Amino acid sequence: MQNTDVILNIGSNSAENHPVSSKWLHKAHERGAKWIVVDPRYTRTAEMADIYCPIRSGTDICFYGGLYHYIIENLIEPNLEKYRAGRFVPEYNFEYLTQYTNASYILDHEFEFDPQTGFFSGWDKDSETYNSHSWHYETDHEEEWDTTPGGTYAWAVGEGVPEFTTPTLTVPKKDMTLTDERCVYQQMKKHYSRYTMDMVCSVCGMDKEDLELVYSTYASSAAPGKAGTILYALGQTQHTYGAQNTRAMSILQLLCGNVGVPGGGVCALRGEPNVQGATDMGMLVNEQPAYLKWANTTDRDTLAHWLESQTYSDGYYTNKPKFMVSALKEWYGENATVENDYGYDWWPKVPSHDGSDWTELSSFEKMKEGTMKGYYAWGMNPCHSAPNSGNVRRSMANLDWLVVADQVITETADFWDAPDMDASTIPTTVFFLPCALIYEKPGTILNSGRWVQWRYQAVEPWDEAKPDYEICDILWKEICALYEAEKNDPKTANPDPILNMKWDYYLDGKIDPIPVAWALNGYKVESSDWKSGFTSNPDGTLSSGSIDLLAGYAGLGANGSTACGMWIYSGFFANNDAPCDPSKQAVARRNNVDSSGLGLYSEWAFAWPNNRRIIYNRASADLEGQPWNEEKALVKWDKDAQKWLTGYANGMDIPDFAATRTLTDGTVQQIEPNNKAFFMLWEQNGRLESYGMTDGPFPEHFEPFETPLSSNPLNGLLNSPCFLGRKFVDDSTRRGRVEDYPYVATTYSVTEHWQTGGQTRACPSLVEAWPGDMIELSQELALEKGIHTGDHVRVWNRRASVVVTAVVTPRVRPLTVQGKTQHLVGMTHHFSWGKLFGNTTLGAVNDLTPNVGDPNSQTPEYKAFLVNIEKTTV
Amino acid sequence: MSDKAFLFDASRCTGCKGCQIACKCWNNLPSSLEMNHYKFTGSYQNPADLNGDTRLIMTFNEFENKASQKRVGNAITRRSCQHCTDAGCVSICPAGALFKDEATGLVTHDASKCVGCQYCSSACPFEVPRYTDDGLRTVINKCYGCVDRVANGMAPACVTTCQPEALLFGDRADMIAQAHRQVAFLKEHGYEDACVYGENEMGGLHVIQVLKYGVEKHGQVENPQVMGTVGAMNVMKPLTGVVAPLVVVGLGAMFALATGYKRNTLAYNNETQDTIALETGEVVKTGDPQDSRTFTEALTENLPFMEANRKKKQLEAEAAAKAAAEAEAAAGSEAQVQAADTAAATEEDTQEGGE
Repeated sequence: MQNTDVILNIGSNSAENHPVSSKWLHKAHERGAKWIVVDPRYTRTAEMADIYCPIRSGTDICFYGGLYHYIIENLIEPNLEKYRAGRFVPEYNFEYLTQYTNASYILDHEFEFDPQTGFFSGWDKDSETYNSHSWHYETDHEEEWDTTPGGTYAWAVGEGVPEFTTPTLTVPKKDMTLTDERCVYQQMKKHYSRYTMDMVCSVCGMDKEDLELVYSTYASSAAPGKAGTILYALGQTQHTYGAQNTRAMSILQLLCGNVGVPGGGVCALRGEPNVQGATDMGMLVNEQPAYLKWANTTDRDTLAHWLESQTYSDGYYTNKPKFMVSALKEWYGENATVENDYGYDWWPKVPSHDGSDWTELSSFEKMKEGTMKGYYAWGMNPCHSAPNSGNVRRSMANLDWLVVADQVITETADFWDAPDMDASTIPTTVFFLPCALIYEKPGTILNSGRWVQWRYQAVEPWDEAKPDYEICDILWKEICALYEAEKNDPKTANPDPILNMKWDYYLDGKIDPIPVAWALNGYKVESSDWKSGFTSNPDGTLSSGSIDLLAGYAGLGANGSTACGMWIYSGFFANNDAPCDPSKQAVARRNNVDSSGLGLYSEWAFAWPNNRRIIYNRASADLEGQPWNEEKALVKWDKDAQKWLTGYANGMDIPDFAATRTLTDGTVQQIEPNNKAFFMLWEQNGRLESYGMTDGPFPEHFEPFETPLSSNPLNGLLNSPCFLGRKFVDDSTRRGRVEDYPYVATTYSVTEHWQTGGQTRACPSLVEAWPGDMIELSQELALEKGIHTGDHVRVWNRRASVVVTAVVTPRVRPLTVQGKTQHLVGMTHHFSWGKLFGNTTLGAVNDLTPNVGDPNSQTPEYKAFLVNIEKTTV
Repeated sequence: MSDKAFLFDASRCTGCKGCQIACKCWNNLPSSLEMNHYKFTGSYQNPADLNGDTRLIMTFNEFENKASQKRVGNAITRRSCQHCTDAGCVSICPAGALFKDEATGLVTHDASKCVGCQYCSSACPFEVPRYTDDGLRTVINKCYGCVDRVANGMAPACVTTCQPEALLFGDRADMIAQAHRQVAFLKEHGYEDACVYGENEMGGLHVIQVLKYGVEKHGQVENPQVMGTVGAMNVMKPLTGVVAPLVVVGLGAMFALATGYKRNTLAYNNETQDTIALETGEVVKTGDPQDSRTFTEALTENLPFMEANRKKKQLEAEAAAKAAAEAEAAAGSEAQVQAADTAAATEEDTQEGGE
């Protein structure tokens, strides 16, 4: 962040919710960076910024589309001839656009978008889903993998490697002049021609002068050598098109040449709950640890099909079979062999064949229907945090059993005791497992820069609380004992997946995160001994058992010779001299010397993958490997020595591209600079257009589930055709109309509290610093409604009615949307009836939010919905 | 050792209140353990002001700002002791409970010496010193600059916790220089009223502030002055010194001189169950309560400003209730309920403020 020239906070209130980031943003600001905040209300971050522009909640894609249009009309089109003639354009980085993105790729001849209907090509009316075939590129020619001995992919047919058909590289057709009307650039230009400045102002409720200032300021980062960064958080993701919002930011950054450069990037702000770590670790329904897809019942129903559908034809993900087989070796240990597909079929499979959805929002529908009978809420409090939380607790009342593992008795643990529930009619048995807090156990935590940092235990767990891994261990042993005892009983279904699983993470006789770290890092199977039981010496070595840790994922094999639970972390815990001592591992490094001068701090902790600090860093230099900005060099091709300058010793970063190749005889060869800047994609170029999304190849503006508009000003479809929850019954989602609920509402957090407050509402000083939930509203709306600061306000829609305290403020202002005045209100969502120092019996704010969400990420739409308000007395 | 100072840079402060919490934690200052004890103020500023258990709060002042593209401003400010060079509270303190830390120039205190007279409160132009009941007496509670941490090479607790470096601690001269640099930066960025506060006020404060929107918007006192009474009280201070360390006696003597204190008053100490003659400090009786009043009440009953404070607050409460009732009169019965609520709330506040 400190290296940026333009800061754009959109959908993020970093000063309040990620206070540490402010320190680095101030460094950029003091260097002369411009700071922009686009947000429905003037936040504490806006107070830090130079430019503030309000936006109607839920209209981000319209804002980004307008910015693409602005860049195309003002920077690209006027200079395109110059670029074609081979001349340098100081205000726009054409080399980045044409060489490092797919702007020049020719799209399938069936690719189309119809603004009249709002549909892209490929819509299937019967299944109400898209077929993405027409969103792919035209193929120039095909190339097959060379698996002959000595060939690049010889490993793919080696002994122990599962059989699969190797992928075919379909080299796309391109037009480097960007004139072909089917090329991505021309299609993009056409698509966003509707997103004029007037249209954006009218849809987003912006002032044209403000908007022009924001656009021109941000577009200045498109000049070669300049960088702009976008800070985003839940304000972007919590929409029925949240993943498209994230796509939209990525496209903007590619268009401005801001990916892979210091001070660039799409900064997803991660925080205290370790979201980055949780996603890495596979706390997701669609992905297992390290972003490998789970098995399913269609294109991933066998190991061969998994490998065929997931292995890329080019780029680094050609290595996926190595990651997958090594992961299976860790899941099933010696029971995983090439003959049984390394245990692949023991994995549960996502039921993709019938279109059923088992993600969070749908879970509660399934409880209501009676198909889901039991539920684990582990470190999660859906009766407070999930949208339409009234619906959640009513659904939970149908469960046979509920297990809640948490630090305090949450609203989920005592859902039956909510003010509107009658415990005498609820048959659910609730088990509560007290959990240790982060400070009561050792482990790792990740920051927004993917730094894995070791955290030591500070204090012993309180009372009966146990770390999660101990709770897992106790449950696991009991479950295995039951299966073991009853495995021959014909009524016992499928004991193999349980009994064949590797679960031996014990050190000195106790379950311990250190053997888990070895498993994540990866090790050689042959030279490691998990059988004898691990015991440690005081110097961090092992006195019994042995482990042969891998230096990095380059050592992984697809033939069962290595085991690795998490290939991206490989190298973070690789010191074989003291495997039991975290302080001697990369993950616990504490050297804050910065040889780069750019804040890379390469010897502080470990950044996955491979300790790279800025991913896609090849894009920080031009086609010939010369940095766009010499002062911010991350990698550089030394023309005289014909070699790459990279790494900590040169004050640079670890290359995130193929800089060298190792020949079979062991010699290392330098690879001359080329255009393969994004080697985690098979094209190895960034995607302005992408076939990878469920709901469209370009982000297109749709209105939120509940909107003040009756039609979409940009196309013929009001809502995204794919949003999650569109098939839920009305009695569940209870959509409201603008006639009854005229105000656009959004929700957010304050710095004083963390989410549902299990930790922070248990801290008296934090409750004193912020004692209850609020509604922020403009002075204009307050006047209309006779509401004063400090008054109680009833907020209601078809889902619920809650009472919160009014904060009447000039920081919220009415917007003009489609020529009409539109009021916005915002609420915090930290308090509920849970018996902590601060609580409320007046309803939880998430009783109001709609239980619909994004079809790609399944994230709910907390950020835009409709309510009505009135002054009330309690 | 040269004088030290805090630097509070309002333009870097995010108002996260980390300092407010860190202060409470480091100093073991309690918050209520009662469920729903605190009421949301209707502002980001919670609690509304300093109190006997809160030495530092963040204040928020939101306003329309037509001169700026942003059209609105939010002056976020740190409210705590400013550690004056000409510290009226130190001058007036009859018991030597408030004093300057020689190494740093910070105004610190020793609550064990405090006699609860609350003169320091009236002497402070910033209305900072507050009082807490330690079970025995009502004693001063205010920021003491974490002089113990400083003496051991650490920064004060609030400074250590500040992530965006809005709070710094160091040599006063360095803090002033940094403040001027930041004000120059702010002026370049369109904050024309930005200024340094604390360089010369009260002989020089040991809290230097960068005020982004100027003195008034940040709720600071323009040209603060030492209270007039302080000079008069200084004359009397040597007298209390003579009879120290018998603090109670000193207090009695001083009160007698200063305010015509009623002699031969007895007071009962709950903790020791002693009845004490205030004039002499002698224990008259042990184990048998002679007086329904607490020790503290007896000590402070005749203090004129205490009486005045009580009266003022009572009048304020009545005025507020009346105003609220009038304002809402037209709105019918619901409004009356509201007015009653307001009046009740004001009374509560008064009680809290009177601690």
